Amino acid sequence: MSGALVADRITKTFAVSRGGTTRELRAVNDVSLAVAPGEIVGLVGESGCGKTTLSRIMIGIETATAGAITYDGRPVRTRAEWRALRRSVQSVFQDPFTALCPTMRIGDALAEPLAIHGICPPAERKERVSRMLEMVGLHPDMARRLPNQLSGGQRQRVNLARALMLEPKVLICDEIVSGLDVSVQAQVLALLIALQEGLGLSLVFISHDLRVVRYLCTRVVVMYMGEVVEQGDVEAVFDHPQHAYTRSLLAAIPDHSRLSAGATT
Amino acid sequence: MAPVLAVENLSVSFPGARGQITVVEDVSFTLEAGQSLVIAGESGSGKSMVCQTLLGIAPGAASVTGTRIDWKGRNLLTLNEPEWQAIRGAEIAMIFQDPTAALNPLITVENQIIDAIRAHRRVSRAEARARAVEVLGLAGFPEPEHRMRSYPSELSGGLRQRVAIALALSCSPSLIVADEATTNLDVSIQAQIVKLLRELKDRLGLALIFVTHDLGLAAEIGGDLLVMYAGCAVERGPVKSVLTDPCHPYTRGLLRSAPTLRSSRANPLRPIPGQMPKPGSVGAGSPFRSRCPVVVDGVCEAQRAGWTSAGPGHDVACHRFALEGREGLR
Amino acid sequence: MSVVQVETSVPRLGWISRLRPGVPLTVGIIMLVLIVLSAIAAPLLAPAGPAVVDLGSVRLPPSAEHWFGTDAIGRDLLARVLYGGQVSLLVAGAGMIGSLALGTLMGMLGAFGGYWVRAVVDRAIDIQLAFPYVLLAIAITSVVRPSTAVLILLMVLAAWAGAARVVRSIALQERGKDYVKAASVIGASQLRIALFHVFPSVLPSLLVLAAMQMAAMIVFEATLSFLGMGVQPPTPSWGGIMLDGKNYITSSWWLTTLPGLAIVLTSISLVLIGDGMQARTDALRSREGDE
Repeated sequence: MSGALVADRITKTFAVSRGGTTRELRAVNDVSLAVAPGEIVGLVGESGCGKTTLSRIMIGIETATAGAITYDGRPVRTRAEWRALRRSVQSVFQDPFTALCPTMRIGDALAEPLAIHGICPPAERKERVSRMLEMVGLHPDMARRLPNQLSGGQRQRVNLARALMLEPKVLICDEIVSGLDVSVQAQVLALLIALQEGLGLSLVFISHDLRVVRYLCTRVVVMYMGEVVEQGDVEAVFDHPQHAYTRSLLAAIPDHSRLSAGATT
Repeated sequence: MAPVLAVENLSVSFPGARGQITVVEDVSFTLEAGQSLVIAGESGSGKSMVCQTLLGIAPGAASVTGTRIDWKGRNLLTLNEPEWQAIRGAEIAMIFQDPTAALNPLITVENQIIDAIRAHRRVSRAEARARAVEVLGLAGFPEPEHRMRSYPSELSGGLRQRVAIALALSCSPSLIVADEATTNLDVSIQAQIVKLLRELKDRLGLALIFVTHDLGLAAEIGGDLLVMYAGCAVERGPVKSVLTDPCHPYTRGLLRSAPTLRSSRANPLRPIPGQMPKPGSVGAGSPFRSRCPVVVDGVCEAQRAGWTSAGPGHDVACHRFALEGREGLR
Repeated sequence: MSVVQVETSVPRLGWISRLRPGVPLTVGIIMLVLIVLSAIAAPLLAPAGPAVVDLGSVRLPPSAEHWFGTDAIGRDLLARVLYGGQVSLLVAGAGMIGSLALGTLMGMLGAFGGYWVRAVVDRAIDIQLAFPYVLLAIAITSVVRPSTAVLILLMVLAAWAGAARVVRSIALQERGKDYVKAASVIGASQLRIALFHVFPSVLPSLLVLAAMQMAAMIVFEATLSFLGMGVQPPTPSWGGIMLDGKNYITSSWWLTTLPGLAIVLTSISLVLIGDGMQARTDALRSREGDE
């Protein structure tokens, strides 16, 4: 399969020492996750369930204790292989306020990936930055600004733009809309859908908000205490959850659509 | 029943480079004992500032004006700091978004609650301790006798928020103000805390003000809803009525951009175009006019809309609605 | 409608709070500029050369003719303090720049190096901070003949560790932030992250450090010169002038007090500048956090 990112039987353990005794904490336990081209996989669960650790392993900023990451069927292990993978697999971080270098102008931050990978001649970089800013719905003049002159929603678009500069095939997004206001969140979700439909981008979308996952994702993987407890098409899992944990998670979601359905809380 | 709290025409402004910057403008509401009011809005709507004025903890530079904030017959607008201290915590308590910041990391849960009680009441340590056990129990803190000797850092986020709630309950206040009190919690913990607040309200006859950006949570809390935008109240009424029959274009826009468990791409979300105006740049007209799909030309730029009734207890501040009713909003 | 204007509880310090961070900074800068200018203009201001001996007027107290008095061999003290300022300021400046450069390099290595590099830097900083610098100076000057170059080297050696510790702690703090992880995900190397992402965040603190370090260096130069291990006579430096006056401290107070005053005033001006800049960068940081 071309452009498929696969995490195969990933296990990650941390050594936790408390009161002199060291014990092993399994943050991720034998989890497999495959992302096919063009699909949006939702990874849901509560804090500490291992979803963020798994995503960090999939972009190589943490290494798995056991298991393998493959891309296009080829394993990614060495530093050089990870570096090569950067062009195909990118990620967007959760907090739009800390994910941008505070002293770097937006334009420079967006041009940086091009410079690092020597992708296009320096003269054309400015043009590509402008086009990308427009694509994520920002004015090209933003290139001259510093991150602290932008709102949260604008920063999150810049983050997204930077990840897209390398024209990746897979984008891993960790809680990228949870800090945004609803109206801004809807704008970013619309952008993600446009990217998926327009560029054939695949997304791993990590979120604790099942309402957003239901809306955006095609497939969903539910994690609980380091393990996958349920996965499948979004409609199937949301409408007929099989695992008790999935059911309790769905029941806990605050949802105003229940009001109009007549159900009382 | 007479309301315990009646806020009339509350405004808050800050000195800016070019005159006063108004962050809350002309907000009014009332609240009865045992009832809840949800204040919903996005960041910059002024909802947190309203809470802060109710506890007299608005930043020093803020100028707080209004006709009256009536609290059990007293006007909170005229209190001085010693008078505030007697009310804050004892009659009106607050639960913050971040329980970690609200608790002292170096003092045990037990001592923090005992200190809070003894700050307001002349009781012995033993009595205060008994009360601490009681309020921790009320807040659903497991095994309070045993675990109240913990330090905040030894507790999970959900438990810390329960401690914060116990602390708020410790002097039997009549009003609890919860400012985004569940925002940082996991959904299942959030659901528990919301349930707890609802139960406490009913059991103890508390008045509850719950501030949130999440309309889903507003639905879970119930009671009345006040929707704020750019410092102004734009719609108010029973939660169910406002959320199932929104009559202000902003409330409608908010509902259309918020995904629910029933939404799907077949029925796409419709984001509100543009951005919230910067504080102080709203001017005289309707605060939502720059993003509104149903602006009334020549009217919305010129003046704020007054309240129009949209149903029992349900009011809307919208010129279009006032002119044409629900038909005009399509 | 009766509108009640509420005076909130926190006292409003309007003009003071707006003034406060700026005032010490301005005062410090004015003081330092005056001191530096008078040192530079020594040939114009000084009534005589710093080495002009007049055995006819020995240890005269301050007077209209000799504002600062004269020393044991009749040299005009004002001239010596002014010329000494040139030397002291230059030496301290060189020591400050050298120690900051070495400290920044070591601090960044301590934050970004591999396991072993970090371990070595950490231990080097610990050892340096634990070792009394005067002892180090005595040890080195007992082997090498004291000179201005040796003095500067000593100052760099004594002061780099403090700078390194500050730089390392800021760099480590920045390194844990998401933007650094984001940079590594787009493929940026550690060197690139250190230079283009983290170093600019260290810079404001480095400026504050420069002022504080300079103050320390002025005192350090004076200390070493006073102990006879610094600038060698007949070249005047503030510490050296005090050394000359040491023997007459009970009879001729001005010989030690006035050069000492120059040292104190210069240090104070630098500390004021450092504090003022610290307040500025803190304010800038917190404003970044707010938005």
